[in-house]
Amino acid sequence: MLRTTLAGLRMHKARLVTTALAIALGVMFVSGTLVFSDTLKAGFSTKMMGSADDFAAVAVPAVDEDAPAAPEAPLPSLPADTLEQVRDLPEVAAAGGMTRGDAPLLDKDGRSVGTMPTVGMGLGEGTRFQPEEGALPEGAGEVALATTSAEATGYGVGDTVTVLDSEGERHEFTVSGLVDFGVDGELAYRGVVAFDEDTARQMTGAEGYSEIDATAAEGVSDAAVVSAVEGVAGSDADVETGADYGAQLAQNAGADTQVLTVGLMLFALISVFVAAIVIYNTFAILVAQRQREMALLRCVGSARGQVFRSVLTEALVVGLLASAVGVAAGMAAGWAGFAFGGEALGADTSQSLVVGPLPVAVGMTVGTVMALGAALLPAWRATRVPPLAALRTSATAQGLEKGIGWTRIVIGAVLFLISGGIVFVATNSSSLGTTGMVLTTVAGLVCFVGVVVLSPLLVRAVVAAVSPLMRRIGVASMLAADNSRRSPKRAATAMIALTVGATLITGYAVVNASLKTTMDEMLAEQFPADYLVSAPMDEPDAVIPQSSVDALKESDATGTVIEQRQTYIASDEATGDLPVSTYIGGTLGDDLKNDAVSGSLADVGPGKVAVSEGYAGDREAGDMLALATEDGEKDYEIAAVLQDGGVLWGATLTPRDFEKAFPSVDGTSDMLVNGADGASAQQVRDAVYEAVADAPTVGVDSMAEMKAQFDDVLNIAFLAIAAMLGLAIIIAVFGIANTMALSVLERTRESAMLRALGLARGQLRRMLSIEAVVLCLIGAGVGIVLGVVFGWAAGVAAMPGMVFTLPVAQIAVFIGVAVAAGLLASVLPGRKAAGQSITGALASE
Amino acid sequence: MSQTAAVAAPDHSTQAPPVVIARSLSKVYGAGDSAVRALDGVSVEFARGHFTAIMGPSGSGKSTLMHCLAGLDTASSGTVHLGRTDITRLNDRQLTQLRRDRIGFIFQSFNLLPMLTAEQNILLPAQIAKRKVDRERFERLIDVVGLRERLDHLPSKLSGGQQQRVAVARALLGAPEVVYADEPTGNLDSRSGAGVLSFLRDSARDMGQTIVMVTHDPVAAAYADRVIFLRDGRLVDEVHAPTAETVSDRLLKLES
Repeated sequence: MLRTTLAGLRMHKARLVTTALAIALGVMFVSGTLVFSDTLKAGFSTKMMGSADDFAAVAVPAVDEDAPAAPEAPLPSLPADTLEQVRDLPEVAAAGGMTRGDAPLLDKDGRSVGTMPTVGMGLGEGTRFQPEEGALPEGAGEVALATTSAEATGYGVGDTVTVLDSEGERHEFTVSGLVDFGVDGELAYRGVVAFDEDTARQMTGAEGYSEIDATAAEGVSDAAVVSAVEGVAGSDADVETGADYGAQLAQNAGADTQVLTVGLMLFALISVFVAAIVIYNTFAILVAQRQREMALLRCVGSARGQVFRSVLTEALVVGLLASAVGVAAGMAAGWAGFAFGGEALGADTSQSLVVGPLPVAVGMTVGTVMALGAALLPAWRATRVPPLAALRTSATAQGLEKGIGWTRIVIGAVLFLISGGIVFVATNSSSLGTTGMVLTTVAGLVCFVGVVVLSPLLVRAVVAAVSPLMRRIGVASMLAADNSRRSPKRAATAMIALTVGATLITGYAVVNASLKTTMDEMLAEQFPADYLVSAPMDEPDAVIPQSSVDALKESDATGTVIEQRQTYIASDEATGDLPVSTYIGGTLGDDLKNDAVSGSLADVGPGKVAVSEGYAGDREAGDMLALATEDGEKDYEIAAVLQDGGVLWGATLTPRDFEKAFPSVDGTSDMLVNGADGASAQQVRDAVYEAVADAPTVGVDSMAEMKAQFDDVLNIAFLAIAAMLGLAIIIAVFGIANTMALSVLERTRESAMLRALGLARGQLRRMLSIEAVVLCLIGAGVGIVLGVVFGWAAGVAAMPGMVFTLPVAQIAVFIGVAVAAGLLASVLPGRKAAGQSITGALASE
Repeated sequence: MSQTAAVAAPDHSTQAPPVVIARSLSKVYGAGDSAVRALDGVSVEFARGHFTAIMGPSGSGKSTLMHCLAGLDTASSGTVHLGRTDITRLNDRQLTQLRRDRIGFIFQSFNLLPMLTAEQNILLPAQIAKRKVDRERFERLIDVVGLRERLDHLPSKLSGGQQQRVAVARALLGAPEVVYADEPTGNLDSRSGAGVLSFLRDSARDMGQTIVMVTHDPVAAAYADRVIFLRDGRLVDEVHAPTAETVSDRLLKLES
């Protein structure tokens, strides 16, 4: 029996090639992900270990983990004399210290980079960091930039950069090199300007050391050095061996890898799922086509069990071979992923490929089990073939699948209802948060099962609906319309594979587009100006220099300019202090808008205040609010209670009331600047930057730039997800191509007859192309509908205020891709069908 | 035309002009030692309005002859003329066009597209050729073959004989210059077979339809005006106004 199976396999090689490819691609994704993440992890640890491993002991300031990190507190450091003491230790051969403070780096516009000042780091003698490019800074005229900072600002080695010292004075430096500071979150976020130790102290004013690294003297163990350093550093320091410290850094980096791996794995599973659908369909069709073969086997005495095992053996062999190919391809893919993505993720790219037993085992298992699982049902069906079928003339080509399938309709309808119910609950109950997302996902899965159940009917109905039109176009499209209806189950399964990818990608496109619109609207609401100029963030009482304020107000290029003054007072309604603000130059309710829970913002006037919900307690408009002014407690009538999350936050007074209540607060903390009518965007930008040129740490945010940045992030996320889902879509296209190819085989005689009746080769090819395109369009169409519905549901469930946006352009692209996929899927089957000799085909079977 | 033909056709002499002429037709499959001569210098003519049967033992080359005559297969040497067209010189596109407009086919089985109704199947060649359907001829044909009640049935709902009558109607609708039938009754019981065959004979007599039929059944061949016999790729014998007995005798002689 095994011999028969294997002989059959060899004979039907071609029929199984696409199936094997589908398995191999799915397995490739799984193994590739594992190999990639293993290599990435190894790349991180080589790097981290490399930087810390050479040192016997690394001492860092002890962090009290129970105390919440206060952002304004000075960085903890080790006292300056500790380094000397460490150096004097007999166990220590050499030791270096690292200092850390603030050193705002200015970008090419002369603004300080980012919202937080850049970290100014002093790299002492024997530092563990090595330059990625150029050299470490030496002397007072040189700095090294973190690779992240260099990327953000566009500076490179040899450029001149301006850095502010702790007094805000500008100093110019030449960039001597770029240093990769690795995966430390804070350093990555703020960026780093590295100096030599003396320059760092002068620039940042930092005292002490943020890290001391010691190497061991001849013959002294690392542990001995650690305990010796602990002895001098005392309880202020955490001392570890360099190896441990490196391992810990690597582990932190590995945690990031973990997230990435889980994400990639999710997409890999989607691909595997789609591949399983494709395999199932192939085996189902093959078993149907080989009915006579199976019946013949039964006729000559095979038991049902043997037929069953023979189909499974075939699946096993295909699964094993394809998985092996997939694992090998996965290694290549993992290597390619690491080679191209590793550097961007901050890993050491000299790391060679790490292939553990796990990716191989997982890949082989996933592929083989998937093939076997998908073949179970077809194998069982093969056992139902009666021996008598051997004597019948081929039943497959003539028979049309029949039956309305009321069971299908009922089951499908029930599943749709359940799914709809869940969506209703998820979208209509507030404060579900992530639960809402989970519910939507569940609803999506239930609905998908419903679609699967109904899909044969769906295919038939859709084709029936469009076939009058297709009949009119031409004979090729007429025949295609009729062909699409002849085995709806098969067509449906092929189509469903594409639906999976289409649903997910559309769903994400909807979420993405809605997010974009929602964010744009929120930005426009919260940021009702072209530019927001704000005092440096790191100091609570900082203000914008009056000269800048005046310049902004007086410039011809600026229109409405609103100054915000703000102070914080104690509040009994919230845990934090209550921010009290006033706006000069803008009308509340007109220039500044915020939705009110009760009352109206426009009613704020002398003695009347607006307060945001979080600070209002259970007060409503008309109630009184007591504020602790500089002149003692004063009562104000509440004109409006405002919704949280808007422009106005805390309590808002009229300028006159504010001045009376807080006379000492006379500086501007934020300014909303609009361009003058008729001024070009560039003129406005120049005016704003000109006004704050002397105050580089004052933040300048442009609405347009923020939007652009935000859009960039969303676009990149979309492209990444589209690329991940791309493989699932390619596998689905393989499936459709395979279904088409098998149908062509089955219809060999029929095609020959059509050719004899005068159908040209081109028409035959076109017929198959249209058939495949129809299939792809239905698959994509169902996916797009599902994606829109569940993208909307997920968005609403996760983000109640979401503004639904239909990504029309993207959906148009998806439809275009579906058409292209159909055309592509029909290329080979079409060639095969058109290439058949008529007489040969007529004589066959 | 059909009316004049109805008068002219009963003339059973071979004086009617030939529609299809084959000259020294040879077909060789394979090359070298394994080469098989399926046709070996066959020259034959088929006159307008005649119903001719091609007979011969298995492997005699009768199907190959028909395929070459119909332009479904290309001859290794020799020529085939359909009217004034030398079809051995046509390329694939021209052959397709020729089959569309000037030739009708009836096959043994798998004759109809399973997803089209009887009527759609009959109209299919016209649609492929983008030809206007002669509604009058269509109405007459379906009455003659007795399919009026079954026009909107799918093939799976028709009996074998009915299916084959659909195929005959399909082949005749476009009034092609010649209709080729390959074992048209091979899958039918004798009663349905007789129906199809008498219809083919009548259409030759009454409508002047030229028909060439391959068969191995002497009873079927007896419906033809003339039977030609092939053996080993050569034309070996010919019978006019055959009966089942004469055909059987000749066949037996051939096979002995």
